[in-house]
Amino acid sequence: MSYILLSVLLLPTIAVPLVYLVGRKSAKWAAILLALISLVSLGLILTTVHAILGPDHRYMETYTWIPVLNSQFALFVDGISISMAIITMVLMLAAALYSINYMQGKKNLEIFYALLTLLLVGLVGVFITSNLLFFYFCWELMLVPAFFIVGNWGYRDSYKASFKFFVFTHAGAVFVLLGIGAIYMTTHSIDLFQAERLLLTQSPDIVRWILLALTAGFAVKMAIFPVHLWLPDAYSESPAPMSALLGGVLTSAGAYAIIRISMETVFPVVMGTQFGTDFLHGLAIFGVISAFFGSFIALAETDLKRIISYSSISHMGYILFGVSLFYTSAGALIQVAVAGTVLHIVTHGLSKGLFFLSAGSLMNSLSLRNIRDMGGIAGKMPITGTASATAAFSIGGAPPFACFISEFFIFMGAFQMIPLDGFYIWPTALMLVATVLSLGYSLRFMSNVFLGPSKLGEIKKKSLEVPRFMLLAMIILTVFVIIIGIYPSLFMNLINTVTFL
Amino acid sequence: MLADVTSWLVWIFPLVSSVFVPLIARAGEKARNAFVIGVTAVTASLALTLIPAASSGEGGAINLVAPWISQAITAGVYIDPLSVLFTCLVGFFGLIIAIYSLGYMKHEENLTRYYFYLLLFIGSMIGLVISDNFLQLFIFWEMVGLCSYSLISFWNNRPESVKAGNKVFIMTRIGDASLLAAVGILYASLNTFSFHGTITAILNGTLPSSTLTVVAFLVLGGAIAKSAQLPLHTWLYSAMEAPTSISALLHAATMVKAGVYLIARFILIAAPMIAVLEGSWLPTVAWIGVLTAFLGATMALYTPDIKGVLAYSTVSQLGFMMAALGTSLAASESLGWFASLFHTMSHAFFEGLGFLLAGGIIHALGTRDMRLMGGLRKAMPVTYALAIIMILTTSGLPPFAAFFSKGLIITSITEEGSLLQVILIYATTAITFAYSLRFVKLIFLGKESEHLQKLHPHEAPKIMLAPAFVLAVACLIWGFLEPWLGSYMGVAEVPSLLSSFVGLETAIFAVILIPAGLLIYAAYWKNYSIMNSLRSASNPLAKLLSHGYFFDDFYEKVVAKGVMLFSRGVKFFEVVFLEIFPMVFANMVIRFAGGVHKYFEAAADQLLTVIAGRTVDSAAKVKTLDSLADRFLDIIARHTLRSASRAEGSSSSLQHYLAAALLGFIVLVILLIISVGV
Repeated sequence: MSYILLSVLLLPTIAVPLVYLVGRKSAKWAAILLALISLVSLGLILTTVHAILGPDHRYMETYTWIPVLNSQFALFVDGISISMAIITMVLMLAAALYSINYMQGKKNLEIFYALLTLLLVGLVGVFITSNLLFFYFCWELMLVPAFFIVGNWGYRDSYKASFKFFVFTHAGAVFVLLGIGAIYMTTHSIDLFQAERLLLTQSPDIVRWILLALTAGFAVKMAIFPVHLWLPDAYSESPAPMSALLGGVLTSAGAYAIIRISMETVFPVVMGTQFGTDFLHGLAIFGVISAFFGSFIALAETDLKRIISYSSISHMGYILFGVSLFYTSAGALIQVAVAGTVLHIVTHGLSKGLFFLSAGSLMNSLSLRNIRDMGGIAGKMPITGTASATAAFSIGGAPPFACFISEFFIFMGAFQMIPLDGFYIWPTALMLVATVLSLGYSLRFMSNVFLGPSKLGEIKKKSLEVPRFMLLAMIILTVFVIIIGIYPSLFMNLINTVTFL
Repeated sequence: MLADVTSWLVWIFPLVSSVFVPLIARAGEKARNAFVIGVTAVTASLALTLIPAASSGEGGAINLVAPWISQAITAGVYIDPLSVLFTCLVGFFGLIIAIYSLGYMKHEENLTRYYFYLLLFIGSMIGLVISDNFLQLFIFWEMVGLCSYSLISFWNNRPESVKAGNKVFIMTRIGDASLLAAVGILYASLNTFSFHGTITAILNGTLPSSTLTVVAFLVLGGAIAKSAQLPLHTWLYSAMEAPTSISALLHAATMVKAGVYLIARFILIAAPMIAVLEGSWLPTVAWIGVLTAFLGATMALYTPDIKGVLAYSTVSQLGFMMAALGTSLAASESLGWFASLFHTMSHAFFEGLGFLLAGGIIHALGTRDMRLMGGLRKAMPVTYALAIIMILTTSGLPPFAAFFSKGLIITSITEEGSLLQVILIYATTAITFAYSLRFVKLIFLGKESEHLQKLHPHEAPKIMLAPAFVLAVACLIWGFLEPWLGSYMGVAEVPSLLSSFVGLETAIFAVILIPAGLLIYAAYWKNYSIMNSLRSASNPLAKLLSHGYFFDDFYEKVVAKGVMLFSRGVKFFEVVFLEIFPMVFANMVIRFAGGVHKYFEAAADQLLTVIAGRTVDSAAKVKTLDSLADRFLDIIARHTLRSASRAEGSSSSLQHYLAAALLGFIVLVILLIISVGV
């Protein structure tokens, strides 16, 4: 038996005090250590790829844990988890490198990097465990470091934003805990896969409440309208590397949890019932509302980071819409929709991370936030400009950038659904309109910030480009976004192994 | 086989090479320019090598695939006469424009970006026409939009360019959403993206005819936006903010021709079921084409912008192509289908020529306003001569290319279309002649304008004239290649060359060109009051034309403003109802609770005071109770002391209890650990 996943989990755990100690000597080396840890974890988790592509489609490690509770401590990766874990590590790598220059001169950086490492533990834990108790533990573990990072190293009224973030997501977590407790009460198992089997014997009338509680809890993390209120503040006030992680993986964790627990584990019980169909329709409606709401505000907003934040809400709407397409009302799985949705979580995560990092670079160089005060700096910041354009057009859904292909497959799923369920005609049509709006705010961002006449006055410096580690981080993500856009099979092959059954 | 390799290379090579432009630019400008010319030349020759492969396909297309997204979703190339025709067009124009750019863009900055996007543009367009499936086609379809956005807003410190770029991207995106829906529906019903699979399914009749109709209309939506047809034609005029070399490329080969290609390709794919589309779809295509042709031509009559005339001319000519496609009934055997493609090529030559000349003129004069020009024939004689060839071709006079292609289109419309369509298309031909003459009159004829006298313009440099010269020659000879192209495209019945010369169309042409000539003569050479009043800005007709039938006003002032206003409304809603309102509500609750708290505290205080006062009062009054109270206090004190001493004892026993409990807990933990089996 190998210990790959356990070491992926333990490596950052052990590294937390180590990063702290190194950070007291030199913040730069702490960041490099964190980057190395992400890189090694990435390498470790990639060794499981051949097992996932193999006949089992899953790689598992089981340890005994609290036998009284009849609980096994099981770690696993399948096509979805490993995709999530990969973007987590890539984004953490980029964020750590980026912070070297970006956070320079800030206080208490050893704590900052230790908290980031702790955040990595929580994120990895959420994505690779099948034990619901441990899942919840990690779910909360994501929240705590995020709260302190946003509050302590953020901008303007950061503790207020951070408090809002904490209160909202914690309230969501209560629902998650209720749901997990209910799963344990009904099945006497807290293992995801056992529960999946055991729940099927339960009555749909009870399970529907579990489904609703869990989905509501995860939706808060995903920032679906109307529980999105924490997101714009938290995203826009936090330091850029943290924004990238929040936008790239923390909200994605919500989407992952909806797919993994709500849809894969709990939903099959109510599948085929009227409630099941209504539930999916509800998801679609909330998805469409979020997509529109986010796009419209992103079109009206003038704050650099708030535009990106609202575009996040909009894209979470796409993902939720994609999730609603997973099962037909007859209970068949629409594979294209699953592939598109999961791929969209990946592509959106990377693009949004890149978007926030480039926004951070702009703020770093210009010390401005309002896009109306900028303009005409494409020539002064060529690499940041390229990175921003890549991110903006990816978010806007233009090929050859990554988000295009995933959006495309979500729509392919939608069109497969329409003949089976006429309800989906209008949501799909509206989502098509939303793609035009996405492109609209992306173009507005680019033309206001980088193109047009400069409103900055005379710039004496020849170049406003940011220091090299920030550039390196942005280049890494840019390359990822373009490569996935051209050759999506990198993730598609992994995701397509998921059958849910 | 050679074609196996070249059909992949022809689009991958320019795409990959584009990435190297910034790297090679470090070696110097000369190296970069040489590289770009080299790449475009290689691409053009690769495109030419495909010609024999397509004709040897014996009716069937060569279809090569490679694994891409999954086993079922592959990347591939599709070689048939249609795709090769467009590939050659794009390859040829890529080379022409790259050479022209050397002269035209000589003094510009940021040329590395320019050439990067130029190669990307060429590669994407070839990729679009050579794709063997709808997914790949759609990706390149969008990439062409992205490249045109980047190139139209190339002078990105000019707000007009940036605005035009955004407009182009957004407007074509509306069509893209429509095409996406079409692709989605096809994929949902056939579970394949590939042309080959779709054709097979249509042949077997697995595609319901209602689905095919819906798909056809959605495809048309995509083509309308990309090919600037009514009502989404306005972006093409705005796209004139691009460098002129890019305008030439955009109009002649890339971007706008994509819509024509798509419809032509779709007709080929749907050929076995074309009867389904006969009822509503084909007439719609034809009507959109005819109306666009007519309205585009009328707008070209009025605009003062030298590139504006050419832009509206393109809109109008694209209308001709669409109209021809709409009248093609029996697919590839059909005249209309072939006429449209034939005209696509001739339009590329004369419109490309027009833009190259306009570029030279703008270069020399530094303005696009034709009202400031005039009398340029002396200063730029070569340009003048080439412009004459250009307008003769545009108007469709023999023996130039457009005479043959327009003749075919009109024949096709006469055969299949309605009478009104025929009348409109003839009227359009007359107006075309009129605006072409106006173009030459305003720029070259007459006296030298004041603007000109100040400038002392000179002839365009040789490197810009040479490509124009090549195109002029193409205009001259292309028409005579009609029989060859007909047999190459596999079209059985193409009217012979001779009949084109002496046919009915020629006669009608000649007749209708006379009123057009008279019209223009009256409007510009003579000073008739009725014509002057028509041209004055206050005339409603003039207003209508100068505003382009108010399409743009509607889009910019109603649609775009409306969306922005609505966004602000949504933001306001968010701020007021979702941010402030809950905050106010929470504050109210807190304040209310505070008020209640204060009120109760005051009330309690008062109550206590009252009770205390009463007690004191009554105590003072009842003096007899005094001694009683003294004794009572004594008793209480004694009791308290006694109970205090008792409490001391019990507190010491509490410690014992605590110790016992702790011991028990430890034992429990030990038991637990043993049972766990660590």
